[in-house]
Amino acid sequence: MLPSFHYYQPESLAEALNLLADLPGPKKVLAGGTDVIPALSRGELAVEHLVSLKKLDELREIRRVGANLHVGALVTFRELVSSPLVAGFCRLLGEAAAAVGGPQVRNQGTVGGNVVNASPAGDLLPPLFALGAQVKLCRRGGERVLPLAEFLLGMGKTMLMPEEILTEVIFPALPGGAASSFVKLGRRNSLAISRISMAVIIFRNRQGRIEEARLALGAVAPRPVRAERAEALLKGRCPGPALLEEAVAAIAETVAAILGRRASAPYKRVAVKGVARQALLRAVPEFGKP
Amino acid sequence: MKPFRFKAIINDRPVELLIPPNRRLLDLLREDLDLTGVKEGCGEGECGACTVLLDGRPVNSCLVLAPEASGRKITTIEGLASAGRLHPLQEAFLEAGAVQCGYCTPGMILAAKALLEENPDPDEQTVKTAISGNLCRCTGYVKIVRAVRLAAVKMAGKGGGR
Repeated sequence: MLPSFHYYQPESLAEALNLLADLPGPKKVLAGGTDVIPALSRGELAVEHLVSLKKLDELREIRRVGANLHVGALVTFRELVSSPLVAGFCRLLGEAAAAVGGPQVRNQGTVGGNVVNASPAGDLLPPLFALGAQVKLCRRGGERVLPLAEFLLGMGKTMLMPEEILTEVIFPALPGGAASSFVKLGRRNSLAISRISMAVIIFRNRQGRIEEARLALGAVAPRPVRAERAEALLKGRCPGPALLEEAVAAIAETVAAILGRRASAPYKRVAVKGVARQALLRAVPEFGKP
Repeated sequence: MKPFRFKAIINDRPVELLIPPNRRLLDLLREDLDLTGVKEGCGEGECGACTVLLDGRPVNSCLVLAPEASGRKITTIEGLASAGRLHPLQEAFLEAGAVQCGYCTPGMILAAKALLEENPDPDEQTVKTAISGNLCRCTGYVKIVRAVRLAAVKMAGKGGGR
């Protein structure tokens, strides 16, 4: 049995924002529910008012606007997996969505929920970090757009105010030549929470030289972390097995420094090398070719 | 807590009732509508025993607030047999011996039904992915996968099934 609360199904975003602005006491927005409902039933979340986004179809769209992709907060993991826009302009986000939970959770869970929940193991967060995503937060009478890196404050903590709704995630579409990948290590293939994950985006010039590498690691810190040393050392060089091992070593060093003496550190220090190798190879197969 | 007027099509029949809004879809189906083929396992979206189809797609009914399912089409295991005849998936599970304790079976069959409607001839790996959100602690899955593929054959023989 869930604790009791008042429940609302606003018909429009404006109505939802009015409710959030006017309702007193603890309130929460409900999207897919895959995190909120179990938190309620475990008694970890106390709310007086639950505002459902169910009827806000305007938040279910994936749109291309100029150079950017706009992903509505209510887009489900399944929709990311099957979207041609995602496949064409941010393949790694589709790969990450496919790695979430099982089919049931992918049918229900949403992009907005994954971001707002701010779990260190949230699978969409490393790819969105690598993509340089921003989030749009609406409230009655105003809105603001924040870089994801500023929005996420730590485990379960974000800049979201109680009267705000995260309506969409915005990021530059990747150009056709960009390589990308997402790799997740869980305790098993399905229904597993990430132990380590990594998102890779690599831009190369016509000669195959790496112009820019963006490497974002998940589940090693309260928020995704960019492997900046490895990014710097890849820049200007051509992929191959020797460079791959250099990059993997640099990523492992970055991770070891972050993990410190956490109980999972000895495992993750070693395991991250396999994740990094696999992610780089999947994005750019030339890393495996001498 | 104002009661919520819940209206949905459940197993092809219109249903309307007043419910407290703090009800999970799982509780509504089992407690209010006696559809006890929906099983509660973990209550956290890990095991798939409570799987139902929402507009044809499998979801964990323990993670769905009942009012969120209002206005939609819900299918439980009770909705599969028709006119006293089992659904080909149910027949296949019996014939392949894919049921031991049976607790995961309703969820497995519904996940498989959603798959076969999308892909009438899935290979083994596709079946495994489709049921990857459903845990079975008895069988080791081999006979379940076999049953789903057997059902695909049965349904193809009947011109695509229901």
